[in-house]
Amino acid sequence: MAINRQLDTLDMMLNMGPQHPATHGVFRMVLWIDGERIVDVEPHIGYLHLGTEKLCEGEQYSQIITLFDRLDYVANFNNELVICAAAEKLMGLEVPERALYIRTILCELNRIASHMLFYGTFALDAGAMTPVLYAFKERERIQSLFEAVSGARMMHNYFRIGGVKQDLPEDFYDRMGRLLDPVKRTIEEADDLVTFNEIFLARTRDVGAIDGKTALGLGLTGPNLRATGVDYDLRKAEPYLLYDRLDFSVPLGDRGDCWDRFWVRIREMEESVRLVEQCLQQMQPGPVMAPIRRISRPPKGEVFAHAENPRGDLGVYLVSSGADRPYRVKIRPPSFCNLMSLKHMMRNAYVADAVLILGSIDIVLGEVDR
Amino acid sequence: MTARDIALIILQLTVLVTGLITVVLSLTWLERKALGRLQRRMGPMVVGPHGLLQPAADALKLLVKEDLVPALADKLLFWLAPMVVFVPSFVVWVTIPLAGEVVVRNMDLGLFFIVAFSVLAIVGMVMAGWGSANKYAILGGLRAAAQLISYEIPIIMAVIAVIMLPQSMNLVTIVDDQRTIPYAVLQPLGLAIFLLAGVAEVGRTPFDIYFAESEVMGGPFIEYSGAHWAVFFLSEYINTFTIAVLVVLLFLGGWSFPLMPESAWLGFLWVVVKAYLVVFVIFWFRGTFPRLRIDQLMSVGWKILIPLSFVNFGLTAFYKFYELPWWALTVSSLAITVAAGYGLYRRWTWPARATAEERLARARAYRRAEVTDAG
Amino acid sequence: MLASFKGLGVTLRAFFKPVVTAQYPKQHLPIAPRFMGFPVLTWDDGVKEPYCTGCMVCIRACPTQCMSAQMKDNPLFKEGKSKRRKIVDDFEINLGRCILCGICVEVCNFDAIEMSHQHELSVVVRNGNRADLQQLLAMGRDYQKEMGWKPKGGEEAAKPEAVTRGETPAKEEAAV
Repeated sequence: MAINRQLDTLDMMLNMGPQHPATHGVFRMVLWIDGERIVDVEPHIGYLHLGTEKLCEGEQYSQIITLFDRLDYVANFNNELVICAAAEKLMGLEVPERALYIRTILCELNRIASHMLFYGTFALDAGAMTPVLYAFKERERIQSLFEAVSGARMMHNYFRIGGVKQDLPEDFYDRMGRLLDPVKRTIEEADDLVTFNEIFLARTRDVGAIDGKTALGLGLTGPNLRATGVDYDLRKAEPYLLYDRLDFSVPLGDRGDCWDRFWVRIREMEESVRLVEQCLQQMQPGPVMAPIRRISRPPKGEVFAHAENPRGDLGVYLVSSGADRPYRVKIRPPSFCNLMSLKHMMRNAYVADAVLILGSIDIVLGEVDR
Repeated sequence: MTARDIALIILQLTVLVTGLITVVLSLTWLERKALGRLQRRMGPMVVGPHGLLQPAADALKLLVKEDLVPALADKLLFWLAPMVVFVPSFVVWVTIPLAGEVVVRNMDLGLFFIVAFSVLAIVGMVMAGWGSANKYAILGGLRAAAQLISYEIPIIMAVIAVIMLPQSMNLVTIVDDQRTIPYAVLQPLGLAIFLLAGVAEVGRTPFDIYFAESEVMGGPFIEYSGAHWAVFFLSEYINTFTIAVLVVLLFLGGWSFPLMPESAWLGFLWVVVKAYLVVFVIFWFRGTFPRLRIDQLMSVGWKILIPLSFVNFGLTAFYKFYELPWWALTVSSLAITVAAGYGLYRRWTWPARATAEERLARARAYRRAEVTDAG
Repeated sequence: MLASFKGLGVTLRAFFKPVVTAQYPKQHLPIAPRFMGFPVLTWDDGVKEPYCTGCMVCIRACPTQCMSAQMKDNPLFKEGKSKRRKIVDDFEINLGRCILCGICVEVCNFDAIEMSHQHELSVVVRNGNRADLQQLLAMGRDYQKEMGWKPKGGEEAAKPEAVTRGETPAKEEAAV
């Protein structure tokens, strides 16, 4: 018997999702695996398709904000900001300074809330079940604050074209004072509990690595890109809101592996806390809404606006025909573009890594499928 | 064998089964409560005071649930697998003493019996994995086979090192030998190996690879529901308790340390209390650690635990042969444990910490430079 | 293994800290005054009629088309008791469809609709989330009592295209 004859083995097709618990929503991956190794992966999207872009064409600008809330449903304020910024750019509106401060604070808080969710779920993907509850503890605190400010925990509908819906509540400063210290403590805990844990490091170092050039080529943005060492953060590159007045740094990775993506996000939370603190110190009383008519009718034209969301660069291309409804809205969702890297990252990974890699890209299916 | 003997055996086994099921129910409640507190929440609170009746409610629910069998499943394997997993985990209890006389049948080769029977569960895992006709189940079943076989070796080696001290495989003798110094003091390395490998053997975090919820979603158990799943569940918790009791008996002095009066019931209580503490440590691990990957699990097993268990074995043999004072074994064993732990820390954590600090410094410098430019 | 022990320390410290969760059905966390629950209709105690005139502004502004309304001539106006020429005849909100965005409240010129603090949706009948006029008014009365609600000045706000929304916050604060 020729013992050196290679065994004729077939790759096994493994369907992961849309009901798999670790696909972060309704995402389906078809994995071809050889034993525990992944040979190929094919993502299937569209299970959460809402038709947001088409819906936008039939809704007034004030109603579109509610649709944008539901794109990336863990970072709602950041989404609202982009559509408001697009319409404001088209109308040439000057947003009052206090409204800008409120927007910056809320966006950065939402970034913390979003990254907290990432920290928890990523640890959960890695098999640690406690961090998710610690993370949600802080996320809940932040969301309670959002509730006090905007009236809703998640779907706020608070930003308006030309400002924000209403001024901050009176007890906002008290609440902020109570909010930030526990958040900082939880971030420190995250380092002790997860970031530098031996098992976690063994699981995530050099897993799903991608280099900066490929990442740029695939259109990756946000923490996923910065983890590869590419210094691109819209808050620095094209400062919007008040980021040119605020002192913050952009944490960069260098290997572009899962651990770097995790680490970058944890450090970003720290920077966001600093940003919020600075805004709170600088903020002055004043109007929160530009004097405009109730129904916005941006002039005829086209505009592109984008902002640094927790997941990356969310862009909106808005075409207006001068009516109270946009002619066309094109959304460039960061999660969707980041998902493109899946194949590159998963090559030769283990089945267990598939879950971690998908988790580290930090997609939100509402945004991927739109 | 008279009718009276048979009746006695049946009575003993009934008591054993009832006792084990009670332990399992209490463990599920304790696990959920302990995890709840570790995670700043309350755990079950609704059924009964502080959710005390929750395990009973769960058991009832599992028993009345429909027992689904997948259409393509290998029916025989599918039905048999839970039994094959459950029987060994139950049979080993025949010879585990919970106090001097509180035991069904004390055997001279008791430890050998336990080790030999606990391996059998692997067959059941593979059967469940294959019989379910589910790809995740197959992955999980094969993972279980690899994991359980690999971690059997360090367990056996650690047990052999323990056996060498009293020169007996009889658990009662082993415990009695620890009257003055528990073996945990003599062999901290052995304790560490046995606890880690034991946790891996029962498949608890950080070694819950074969039924990892976020990866293979329950592995071999994915297609099981109702009473069949309950049997798996039962055996998993019995195994956890077995490992805890073995840790207590082999390393923590069982009922004889610190000096206990010669009362079987007090000794029994003492063992149970200690065992629950060990179980709490296992739950605590579950509340803290992420999970290893299958290849890392293998390398931890084969490259770290097995060599260390041979070192432990050799060390004990050296100590026995040259009749050294007992602290010599303690000190050398402890030194190796600490060195191994520190080595792992250096190997796995150090590079990441260094790069993290360097990157942070770079980010801070970048920020300062920019601010001075602007200002 | 040093870092692992650190992790164990973190969880053990949490073990001795108080719990942060609430036993929900028994225990309710405080609701922020601005909380946007289901939209409800308010009741004018002075005239003993709803504020709503059934003008359909909210219905047109609703992004999900979850409401419908009908108006009728106000009998109290003929008697001279009310200033409202028209009054709502029928109003229905499908609360299962409502996305709690609060746009209806913003566009209402008569302070007739408010986002209440009701947020528990479970019902035992299919399609039981449709709230009719009576239910909405009942919920509204609860909300008015709870918040000590006062109208924000309906008549003055009744100039749709001229109002700047920058003024709303001050009024909102006064209402709270």
